[in-house]
Amino acid sequence: MVAVVTADNRAKYAEQLGQMHRDRKKVFVDRFKWDLAVSGGEYEIDQFDTDTAVYLLELEPRTRGHLSSVRLLPTTGPHILGTLFPELCDGQVPVGEDVWELTRYCTTPDQPRSVTSPAGDRVGIALVEFALLFGIARYTYVTHMRLLSLLISQGWETEPLGLPKEINGQTLCALTLKISPATLQLFRRRYGYRYPVLELEPRAAAA
Amino acid sequence: MSRFGDVQDFVQQANRVSRFPELAALMESVSRSLGFDFFALVHNVDFAGKDILELQNYPSSWHDLVKERKYFADDPVLVACQHTGVGFRWSDVPRMITLNGRQKDILEGARTAGIGGGFTVPVHIPGEYAGSSSFGVRNGRDFKDTALPAAQYVGCFAFEAARRLLRLQALSDGKAVPAPPQLTPRQLDCVLLAAQGNSDWHAAQRLGISDQTVHQHIEDAKRRYGVATRMQLVVRALFNGHITFSDIVH
Repeated sequence: MVAVVTADNRAKYAEQLGQMHRDRKKVFVDRFKWDLAVSGGEYEIDQFDTDTAVYLLELEPRTRGHLSSVRLLPTTGPHILGTLFPELCDGQVPVGEDVWELTRYCTTPDQPRSVTSPAGDRVGIALVEFALLFGIARYTYVTHMRLLSLLISQGWETEPLGLPKEINGQTLCALTLKISPATLQLFRRRYGYRYPVLELEPRAAAA
Repeated sequence: MSRFGDVQDFVQQANRVSRFPELAALMESVSRSLGFDFFALVHNVDFAGKDILELQNYPSSWHDLVKERKYFADDPVLVACQHTGVGFRWSDVPRMITLNGRQKDILEGARTAGIGGGFTVPVHIPGEYAGSSSFGVRNGRDFKDTALPAAQYVGCFAFEAARRLLRLQALSDGKAVPAPPQLTPRQLDCVLLAAQGNSDWHAAQRLGISDQTVHQHIEDAKRRYGVATRMQLVVRALFNGHITFSDIVH
């Protein structure tokens, strides 16, 4: 299942959020060699990990440990595309109540493939469910060019926002992922899910 | 029109094409507007089949030579795709891989057939054959670096359009979605651990199952691929994209 973690229920998921920040360090800093700040030698945490961030955490059903996660930021406030990389957009950076940014999609490197694979299916479905439930029409996403084929092969309705640019030796691009009920149907059918994967608490709706 | 405008138009049209000839026409036109003469959307494999992608407009003399000499499996451009996730100029290939004599012949053969140079975008999708989108120019012509960011996008979205058409084609043929033999997640774990050099015992420790069970998963995976040895199994799993070189190196 995938938990929706907001400022309101964060305390309850303190341990899993810690694992998430550790896994983000292992994936983005150690493996991908991104130039990101590391706190306490083991946590990747940046200026956008604030109370406005919402995390979708996929938890291992028995141990409730972190399997994979994604961070969502409202584009009405500071976010990666608007604050750090507006030059990736050909025109205006898309912002609004119904536009959220997805970042830091990460799968724990500590688990065998059969636990986390096929990578991203549950988090992918959770992203679509979250968007449909909370009135999000599209996500914006800054990613590496090398990951683009994989992303569009998963069935997201993807549109580029501007030409890719080389920034700090990496080719980055900005995209929007449009969300519709058809996306949910496609993902559920493809991955064989008939039921929602999001684990909602009443207070999580405060997002 | 701006290059980005070209990309946006292309993405919209590519999402709508319903037949391969339409995609080919679209590729011809977008390749020209980006300053290229040729395009190729292919699975990087050396056998033909209905589920294998091969859509291109290279000169027929080159196409014939490729078929006659089986220049496909070790085409240096396609081999170089295994070394990167982003697009590269063909002129960079000698810096990416060490060319053997036959591979130098292949590059020379392409020039003789009238293909002067190009740019290739690799496409790696787990569980599928490796693929690529390429753009080429005639001898004596060059292309501009400023066209390459747009070519990257076009390459990725064009390949996705081709994947969609392959699936449609398979559906209308009444066939299941074309795919290499699939492994179960547990088989995949065991194959990956074996590829990383683990014994059955070590793999069993990692996965928390018995070494007999690991052995059984490996045997079942071999049967699915129709291969006799672990070595063949690992090679096939790599080839089909179930595991990647970076999985093994990490």
